[in-house]
Amino acid sequence: MSSYRCVFLMGVEQALEYRVSFFLSMLSAAFPIIIQTAMWNYLYGHSDAAAIFGYQQGEILLYTLLATLVSQLVSTGFEWEMNGDIKMGGLNKYLIRPVGYTGYQFFRFLGQKVPRVMVIVPVMAAMIGLAFWQRMPVSAGRVLAFLVSLGLALLLNFSIFYCVGLLGFWLTDVDKLFGTISVVLTVASGGVFPLDIFGGMAEILTGLLPFGYTAQFPVNIINGRFGWARIGAGIAFQIGWIFFFACLGNVMWRRGLKRYAAVGG
Amino acid sequence: MITVEHLRKEFTYYKKTTGIKGSLHNIFHRESLIKEAVRDISFSVEKGEMIGFLGPNGAGKTTTLKMLAGILYPTGGKIEVDGFIPWERRNEFKRRISIVMGQKNQLWWDLPASDSFYLNKCIFGVDDGSYRDIIVELSELLEVKELLNVQVRRLSLGERMKMEILAALIHRPDILFLDEPTIGLDILSQKKIREFLKIYNAQWKTTVIVTSHYMADIEALCDRAVIINQGRLVYDGKLGEVNQLLGKRKLLSVKTSCPVDMEGWRAFGMVREVSAAGAVLEVPQEKVQEVLAAILSGLQVEDFTVTEIPIEEGIARFYQKEAAEI
Repeated sequence: MSSYRCVFLMGVEQALEYRVSFFLSMLSAAFPIIIQTAMWNYLYGHSDAAAIFGYQQGEILLYTLLATLVSQLVSTGFEWEMNGDIKMGGLNKYLIRPVGYTGYQFFRFLGQKVPRVMVIVPVMAAMIGLAFWQRMPVSAGRVLAFLVSLGLALLLNFSIFYCVGLLGFWLTDVDKLFGTISVVLTVASGGVFPLDIFGGMAEILTGLLPFGYTAQFPVNIINGRFGWARIGAGIAFQIGWIFFFACLGNVMWRRGLKRYAAVGG
Repeated sequence: MITVEHLRKEFTYYKKTTGIKGSLHNIFHRESLIKEAVRDISFSVEKGEMIGFLGPNGAGKTTTLKMLAGILYPTGGKIEVDGFIPWERRNEFKRRISIVMGQKNQLWWDLPASDSFYLNKCIFGVDDGSYRDIIVELSELLEVKELLNVQVRRLSLGERMKMEILAALIHRPDILFLDEPTIGLDILSQKKIREFLKIYNAQWKTTVIVTSHYMADIEALCDRAVIINQGRLVYDGKLGEVNQLLGKRKLLSVKTSCPVDMEGWRAFGMVREVSAAGAVLEVPQEKVQEVLAAILSGLQVEDFTVTEIPIEEGIARFYQKEAAEI
């Protein structure tokens, strides 16, 4: 068996090891959904207009629910462990074995995702089915494009947070920083509410920056907001940003390792 | 197998005075300082040899070991391990070495040790047959056969260390580096690990370098000890002969039937301890006979013994001697 397959399977095993933690994380995913639904229902209930910020009530609910699920699906956590490895000398064990650190972290990340995917995917499928039943513009082509963009979103978020984790080489205390980055990026990715409600400038920025491509973009494919030209361009942007962060991570890793080797660990 | 020549390692760090003022000052201006962890170390190790690194905390033992394993790169000097330059970290080199760090964890905490073993099998490309053989053989030797499927976090420190050692040996490395393998363990576990290393080294002719604070580790395992202090090599040779370098001196313990005062003892040599029942004197080896004859004729002696100065003491003197010279 290849090393990475083995790491992947161990990741799955590890995620299943803590059952309570797993169920709690599922529950913590449900809470934002409940709060958001209640909030938007209230807003639409007390407004005369049929659409707020250009969204119908059904559209915004579908957006919020799907975006929360997508955010959950691509969310990371390995950056803390990377920081620990860097600070406490845990990197040593990777340096002395013929295995790549990036590949190791990536496949473990994927492995640890599996139990969550098994819960999220059926819920997501049910929602998309419901949207189709509600005569929203869902088609087989869109579902396919959605799945492709979802895979790329996962890769993109991994590469962004891999770079964040590598900051541990230069920064002594990252506790607050990692927490802040995680919250800011969740909002900046459109994982809480659609960023185009802010109009013009925000929409342009979302289109250019990498963050929206980890949550908002896939959701806008499935809810029919983006046309095919926009979808094509978005996927190109996703690939471009993945490439950018992969290169950045590579440079950071090499520089960081030099630093690590120089200061000890 | 291993050649080290004039090895040096410097670390750069920043000076910071205490308090907020110091921290603010540091934002704009940082004064960097250089610490010489390893100053000038040369030695060589033959295949199958088992050598011990001894030295006080901060002597440079672990730093040297990390440079040998390729984790750190040296500031100066040369290292060659089995024909490789360690810090280039070639995969071929990594397959030949292994390192166990007493204070670091290589096993996956939440999973049984056997999972981590299997991962190492995959990483090093060990075939199924040899993998099975080695697990059976080593788990029996280390007496952890029943614990292979228990999560690592549920194991005791001693059991965990045995698993760490087992994990490090799955790919049958030619060279094994052990950094404080018995740190924090009880006497029985320490003994078990020592016995295991001894058997393993004899059977597989693996070259072993072990660092330790515990004299007993090195005494039990290694014929040859390398003593490092303040980044310099201060002794390289048989552990039992450490004291000879410090002048050949013996300890003479004498029991007398009636008390003798301090002044009385001083007439015979350097007094180390004195009590109503007798005293311990330190005498040059060539004078032992002469002093003993004088004591026997002058005092009412009940019993006496002549012993070596304990190795710990000899080494402690090495540490102090070097510290005073630098």
